[in-house]
Amino acid sequence: MSEAILELRGISKSFPGVAALKSVDLRVDRNEILGLVGENGAGKSTLMKVVIGFYRADEGKYLLRGEEVALGGPDDAIRAGVGMVFQEGCMVPNLSVMDNLFLANERGFARGPLIDRKRMAEAARAQLEEVGLGSLDPRTSVGGLPASRKQMIEIARLLWLSKLYGSENPVLILDEPTTVLQESETEMLFRILGELKKRASIIFISHRLEEVVSLSDRIVVLKDGVVVSDLERGKADVPSIERLMVGHELAAEHYRETMQAGPRGVVALSVRDLSLSGKFEGFSLDLREGEIVGLVGLLGSGKEDVCRCLGGSEAPSSGSISIRGRVSRFSSPKDAIAAGIGVIPIDRRNEGLATSLDVASNINLLVLSRMRRGPFLSPALERKSALKWISECMIKTPSPQTACATLSGGNQQKVVIAKWLAAEAGILVLDHPTRGIDVGAKDEIYRRIRELSAAGLSIIVMCDTLEEDIGLSDRILVMKDGRTVREIPCPRGGKPTPLDVIGYVV
Amino acid sequence: MKRAAIKPIYISMGMFAVLVGAFTAGDGNFLSAYNAQTILNAVAILLAVGLGQTCVIMTGGIDLSVGSIMSLVSVVFMLVIGRLGAWAFPFVLVVGLASGALNGVIVSRLRIPSFIGTLGTQGILLSLAYLLSASPLSVPENSYGVVDIVNGQVGPIKSVWMIGLATFMVFFVLQRFTRIGRGIIYIGANERMSYLSGLDIDKARLVSFAMSGLGAAIAGIVLSSTLYSGYPSIGGVYVLNSIAVVVVGGTAMTGGAGGMLNTLVGALIMGILNNGMTVVGIDVYAQQVFLGILVIVAVAVTFDRTKLAIIK
Amino acid sequence: MSDTIGSRGGMGAGIGTALARARVSSFISRGMNGQLVALAIVLAICAIGTGGMSLSPKNLQTILSLAGIPLVICLGIHQVVLVGAMDLSTEGVISLCAVVAGFLIKNPLTKYDLGFWAVPLAAAIGGLAGLVNGLVNTKIRMPSFIATLGLGWVAQGLAVVASRGNSIKMLDPSFQLFTNGNLLEVPNTIIVALVLGAILFAIQRRTRLGTYMYAIGGDEALARQAGIKVDRVKIAVFAITGCVYALAAILLISRLASSNPRAGKDLMFPAMTAVAVGGVSLSGGIGGALNAVFGTLIVTVLNNGMVLMKISPYVQNAVNGIVLIVAVALTIDRKKIGIIK
Repeated sequence: MSEAILELRGISKSFPGVAALKSVDLRVDRNEILGLVGENGAGKSTLMKVVIGFYRADEGKYLLRGEEVALGGPDDAIRAGVGMVFQEGCMVPNLSVMDNLFLANERGFARGPLIDRKRMAEAARAQLEEVGLGSLDPRTSVGGLPASRKQMIEIARLLWLSKLYGSENPVLILDEPTTVLQESETEMLFRILGELKKRASIIFISHRLEEVVSLSDRIVVLKDGVVVSDLERGKADVPSIERLMVGHELAAEHYRETMQAGPRGVVALSVRDLSLSGKFEGFSLDLREGEIVGLVGLLGSGKEDVCRCLGGSEAPSSGSISIRGRVSRFSSPKDAIAAGIGVIPIDRRNEGLATSLDVASNINLLVLSRMRRGPFLSPALERKSALKWISECMIKTPSPQTACATLSGGNQQKVVIAKWLAAEAGILVLDHPTRGIDVGAKDEIYRRIRELSAAGLSIIVMCDTLEEDIGLSDRILVMKDGRTVREIPCPRGGKPTPLDVIGYVV
Repeated sequence: MKRAAIKPIYISMGMFAVLVGAFTAGDGNFLSAYNAQTILNAVAILLAVGLGQTCVIMTGGIDLSVGSIMSLVSVVFMLVIGRLGAWAFPFVLVVGLASGALNGVIVSRLRIPSFIGTLGTQGILLSLAYLLSASPLSVPENSYGVVDIVNGQVGPIKSVWMIGLATFMVFFVLQRFTRIGRGIIYIGANERMSYLSGLDIDKARLVSFAMSGLGAAIAGIVLSSTLYSGYPSIGGVYVLNSIAVVVVGGTAMTGGAGGMLNTLVGALIMGILNNGMTVVGIDVYAQQVFLGILVIVAVAVTFDRTKLAIIK
Repeated sequence: MSDTIGSRGGMGAGIGTALARARVSSFISRGMNGQLVALAIVLAICAIGTGGMSLSPKNLQTILSLAGIPLVICLGIHQVVLVGAMDLSTEGVISLCAVVAGFLIKNPLTKYDLGFWAVPLAAAIGGLAGLVNGLVNTKIRMPSFIATLGLGWVAQGLAVVASRGNSIKMLDPSFQLFTNGNLLEVPNTIIVALVLGAILFAIQRRTRLGTYMYAIGGDEALARQAGIKVDRVKIAVFAITGCVYALAAILLISRLASSNPRAGKDLMFPAMTAVAVGGVSLSGGIGGALNAVFGTLIVTVLNNGMVLMKISPYVQNAVNGIVLIVAVALTIDRKKIGIIK
């Protein structure tokens, strides 16, 4: 039995209102590839952030090579031989490969005040050889390289740093590495990882379960902040993993299913063959009044880009959007708003609100033209409007003049919703509407969504979990790699389980 | 919005009181009627150019060309006053608006940072002023009446102060009670969100620069009128002064907070400071040292660091 | 997840996107292709406009002698731009160093006669000013453009206060002889500037400091994450720039053997233009000493040509302003700068 190189025992981590990790045990052995799977929101990224020292756990022990450690930050982790490679790559684009490889650690190549670039290049070549990039000229600028190369260079950097600091058997965490790779590149990556396994351990995070199954020595499944399973190679197959990932269903009332009204009335939004090159293609949808449609898919599925096109912040390459029969061209958010579409963004603080301004200003942003007496704005009318929406949306705030920064996440979200309702948006796009909101406020948002749908608004929603998507929507569209692959009805009383759906998603 | 404006404004008002006290202690003449008049004259000019600069700073930008606009306006004013009489006033106001609009177009259409864009236009406009007249121009004899509209008084109240007050009212109403003024605040507070909410960022930016040009033009008119002359270097020192007026009043350079009321207090403070330092006998250039330090301190205090992750 | 500014709709996006694309093509690159072409074009225009006079050996020498001091200043500013910051304190710091040097070199007002030693002492003052710039930017966390703007005003004020607004005559003839002299027909000032340029080039390309400068300019957050002491590097860069300003000041006052507290007047604008024209991107991380050299040459040739073509000096200012705006518009990386303020 190989000795564990990294061990987490009883790790718990919470944020205001959310318990992200609940007493998680994780073991990474020497010379193994550990696959880590779980839905969005299961806690994978929080767990990894604890592993690389970005977060301090609230409870639990962290052992490296048998000894307990307290990491002060990611630098400590890297010095101890634990590092993470992000899929977008973390390299300075205007510097060369070797500059990035040895960034901040060039002391070994210094001759007096000058850098011996020849020696640096040799060392770079040797290191790159280890990751299969022996033919890459270390002096090339990183900026023009494809994502696959960048990932490899980052792996090379981590390996080199662990050598530099004398940490044996480094732990490399790869976060969704294959999302940006072509198939041939994926094969090459797996080959290299197989080689690297001989002197390092790898944590491989991916949604592509077939890959995880074929590559990993062990698979850990995370759900709702808890490790639900730790499977050896050969004991796991894709269907069983899927089952473990989604687990039990919540009570129907959690999503206020009894209030689900279903589509009625005319088609409010009609999308035909919408495409955005490189992101998604052939997206079509007929959204009726009162209907709630969920867009489901992984990162890279294209659903966020669809919503951006609907919101007007991105122009599609082809296809059409019609609002109540009238074909519209959105060249900016202003056009989408004029057509009655409102987007509630995933990032409230930066894209939904002006947190330094007060509640009233945020609510009235879109409807100032209605608050005029003559050519000037009337503070009285503004106040009236603000108070109306505060009460209607049940926003808890001491006064309309309170700065939004002081409100809770849930109340901030309500302000954003109020803004669009005040503007009489007929079609709402909700991007992760309950993210970062505590359970009580979530319920209020679900209720609100039901009320809006009953009032005839059409809603497109993208949720944090599959469960939430299924629970809220009348039907869901599953997107994968830029295409809509399946439409699944979710009528009241006849909801599919996440298990039924997940097969199409991953 | 109001909350954010009140705290710094109390600080500024406190400063104001302290300064008056200090300077009076330094030299009894400070509070004389004559000196008070001198101060208020200067304040009117600082106020006009400061109010314009406030518009730009509230969107998160800066206008380094206000001095050149003032210079250009003063020269043009002197050139046309003979021929246009009282129509010279609206004429040069348009010149100011156009200059500001030029800034707005360059910054918003070409999408370059405002401090570089206005650095560029400052050169262009100053060139224009020098081309029109390299040497100082005086008010032609027969136009004294026109200029004295500005220099005169109605009862005990000087016209200059009324102009200052009127300018303040215009800008205040713009900021508080018009959509475009509100748009400027939204954009300064969160430009990304404003864009996604359909606000016309380019238009708001254009208007903010145009208003800055207008403010500079008014300041230029008043200044030339009180001096009975116009020349291309007249506006030089007002870039620093306009920024100082805005930040000392408590408006943050990060945008979205503060406002015209702050600038009013800032103008009063700067007017007193400038005058007081001279009365007490501090060298004009030592004053510049103080101003520089004052600006740095004021910005450091009001800057909203949460807005910018990376300070460049 | 943020869309590029260029993808916004409307006419503005049209120009903005076109410029963004033009930027990517040849004007911004590690190589000097764009700059060489621009220099050739400017030389050609001036040659045509002056009937070949601009290319006479005498005029070429004039161009070189005109370019010396602006090149020194440009070499100073461009470093700060390289790390992604801005230095608007140029004029004030130069004025201050000019006054300090004026007092240290033999002069009728003080008893100092330090000769060459005035240079390192003035450099110390310039470096100190740069240090303050760096500290205010990194420790007080104030954006560099306002921090340096404020410090520039302070320095300018100090210069005038110290000199009481008067000029200071320089009684030591060696400075003037050197600055106005030539070595093998090449003006000394440009030699000094080129030597400085070579040193800075070596620092940028061959030392760790240089690598860190490019890293910070390229992506400050990543550089910090990698363990680079960003604050220290920035402060060092500001300080070095301050020393460079001092050098420029000494060359300036040596020309006419007289130092005055407004020595720095109107010097920043052409230097800033040279930086932008040379291809040093305002967003940071791109360009270097070579770019500064080319940029200064282009701007100097242009201005010299305008003088020869008898174009009014005031029009020259306007032309410089337009060139600055266009050069920045072409070279700035809008995605990196994010929201344009």
